[in-house]
Amino acid sequence: MTGILLTTTVGSFGKPDYLQKARNANARGKVSDTELADLEKKATLEWIRRQEDIGLDILVDGEMYRGDMVAYFAERLDGFTIGGLVRSYGNRYYHKPVIASKVSRPKPMTVDWFRYAQSLTSRPVKGMLTGPYTMLDWSYNEAYRTRRDAALALAEVVRAEAEDLERAGATYIQIDEPAIHARPEELDIAIEAMGVVTQNVKAKTISHICYGDFAAIYPKVLELPVDQLDLAMHNYEYRWLRLFDKDPFTKELAIGVVDVHSHRLETVDEAAEGIRKGLKYVTAERLLPHPDCGLKTRTVEESLDKCRVVVEAAKKVRAELAKPAVA
Amino acid sequence: MKTTVVGAYPKISDEHQDLRRALHRLDRGELDEAGIAGQLDLTTAWAIGEIEAAGVDVVNDGQVRWDDLLAPFAKSWRNCERGPLERFYDNNTYFRQPVISGPIESDGRTLVADFAKAKAIATRDLKAAICGPLTFATLTAQDTHYRDLAARTLAVADALASELRGLRAAGATLVDVEEPALAAHPEHVDLARAAFERLAKAGVALALYPYFFPSTDLVEALASFPVAQVGLDVRSRERSAEAIDRLGAVKQIVVLGIVDARNTRVETPRELGELVEAALKHVPADRLWLSPTTGLEYLPHDVAVRKLGALTDAARSLGGVRS
Repeated sequence: MTGILLTTTVGSFGKPDYLQKARNANARGKVSDTELADLEKKATLEWIRRQEDIGLDILVDGEMYRGDMVAYFAERLDGFTIGGLVRSYGNRYYHKPVIASKVSRPKPMTVDWFRYAQSLTSRPVKGMLTGPYTMLDWSYNEAYRTRRDAALALAEVVRAEAEDLERAGATYIQIDEPAIHARPEELDIAIEAMGVVTQNVKAKTISHICYGDFAAIYPKVLELPVDQLDLAMHNYEYRWLRLFDKDPFTKELAIGVVDVHSHRLETVDEAAEGIRKGLKYVTAERLLPHPDCGLKTRTVEESLDKCRVVVEAAKKVRAELAKPAVA
Repeated sequence: MKTTVVGAYPKISDEHQDLRRALHRLDRGELDEAGIAGQLDLTTAWAIGEIEAAGVDVVNDGQVRWDDLLAPFAKSWRNCERGPLERFYDNNTYFRQPVISGPIESDGRTLVADFAKAKAIATRDLKAAICGPLTFATLTAQDTHYRDLAARTLAVADALASELRGLRAAGATLVDVEEPALAAHPEHVDLARAAFERLAKAGVALALYPYFFPSTDLVEALASFPVAQVGLDVRSRERSAEAIDRLGAVKQIVVLGIVDARNTRVETPRELGELVEAALKHVPADRLWLSPTTGLEYLPHDVAVRKLGALTDAARSLGGVRS
C-alpha cells in the first residue's frame, strides 16, 4: 500500500459487551466454544467495518479472540503451561505462562483468523504476532538453561507462524516486542531472535514497542531486522523523537499520537501536532499515525473515538502538506 | 536464622478473588468507599494469615492496599500525583509515574492507619515498608519544582522520614526500604546514602532492599548505609550468587534472598541449602535472615505459597528458630 501518513492501529480493540459476557460465560462452561467463536467472528466483522468506516488505511482483526498477547500463543504451543493469575497493574490480572518444557508449534495459531479478517475487506489486514523475546520475558522460564536458548527456540515457532501468514496472503506482519527494553543488556538476544523470525519473510515487517525506557535501547534497536518500528510516543510527550537528533531514525515509523490508557479523548489538533513532530524526522511516506498501543483496555466507543482522532489528524496534516509552500 | 518476606503478596488467588470483584464493583459504582475498605481489611487479614501459616517469623501486611510501590506516597503527598503508566523495571507489571508540581509535603500519616490495622491482626513480629527515595525520585515522570535528581531525591527522603516517624509512633520497630533503583543505577550510590542518612534520623530500624538486579558490586557500599539490615537477592540472576562472597564486608543483619520471587520453579532444599551454607562462611547465623528475592506478588498465588514453604522449610532444616 502506498500513500502518505497511512493510518493504522497497534492490534487490539475494546471487546463489545456481548462478547465479554460470552467469554466469561465460556470460562464457566455456560457458553460453548462454537458459540463463542461465532460471536468472536461477529465482533471481528464489526471492527473491520468500523475501521473502514472511520477511514483507517491498514487494518487489524482487533483480536476479539485473544485475551492476553502472550497467553494466546502459549495456550496453543506445546511446552507451555498456563500459570495462575498475576497482577499487571491496578485491578488487572493475567494468566502468566510457564515454559515448562521444549516449545513447539503443533499447528498454525493465527492464520485462520487472518484469512477470515482479510476476506472481509479489500484493505490490507496485518498479521499479528508476539515476538520471541517478549514471549520469553512475559513467561516464567523453567525449561531452558539460558534466556537466549529460550528466545531462540521461541523464535523458531514464531518464524513458522510468520511464514504461514505470508503464505496466506499477509502483506504486513507485525511481530510485537513491547518487552524489548526490559533488560537492555539482552537487546542482542532480541535482535538475534527477530532475525530468525523475519529471515525469509518478504512481507512488510513491523515491531511494536511500548512502555519502557526506549532511550536505553536506541540507536542499537535500529538493528532489529524489521521494516517498521511502531512506537508509543504520546504517552512520553514525544521525548523519544529527540533521540533521533543525534542518531537518525532509519526505518518506517508508526507513531503513537493518542494515549490508550486514558479515558480523555485527545483533540484532533493535539494528535496532528504529534504527527508534525514526527515529520521532522521521517518523511510522510514513512510515517504512520496510530494510537500508542492496543486499545483493548478501552470500551468500543472509546476505541472508536481514539481512532477517529488519529484519522482526522492525519487528514489535517495531509491537507497541510498538499498546500503549495509559500514562496 | 529468621525468615521474613519483602514487598507485596498476591492480592488474589484463582479461588480467592473477592478483592478483584469488589474493585470491579467499586468501578461500576455498586460498592462505596466503606465497602471497599472492608474488603481491603479482609484481604489484608488473609495475606497476613497465609504468611504466618507458612511459618514466616517476621511478617508484613502484604501491601494489599498498594497499587504499586510508589502509589501510597504519590497519592497522599501534597504537590504530587500519579501520572502516566510505565513498566516497573524489567517486569510485566506497571505503575503510575509520580508527577511533582511543587514542594512535596507529607503529614507523616500515609501508612499509619494501615499499619495499626495490620498490627491488630498479626500474631508475629510485623514490619512496615516504604518506597526507597532514589526509586521514587528516578521514576518520577515530571518534576517542575526541584532542580535535579539530587534535590528531588533528598526532598523525597525528607517526606519519607516523616512517614517513618509516623510509623514509629504507631509502633513500628523495623521498616523495609524497597530501593530497586539502587541496584538499577549503582552510579547513584552516594546520593542514595545521603538520602538514607535523612531516613535514619527518624529513629526506626531500617532494612534496605535493592532488588531485581545483581547487587554484587554494591555490597561493600551497602555496608556503609545507616541501616540495620541489608537484603540481597542471591538467587534470581546468573551473577546474583556472586554477592555471597562479598558478604564479609557487611556488618548489619544480612537478609539473604534465596527463593526467586520472579520464577515459578520452586527451589530444591539442596539449592537453598547451598546458598545458605555459602553465606554462613561470611556471616554468622545470628546475623543471617532468609527471604524471597523480592515481593511474591510477581508469582501466581499457588506458587507464592509453595515458595514460602520452601523458604521456611530451608530455615527449619538449617537450624531456624521456629518449627
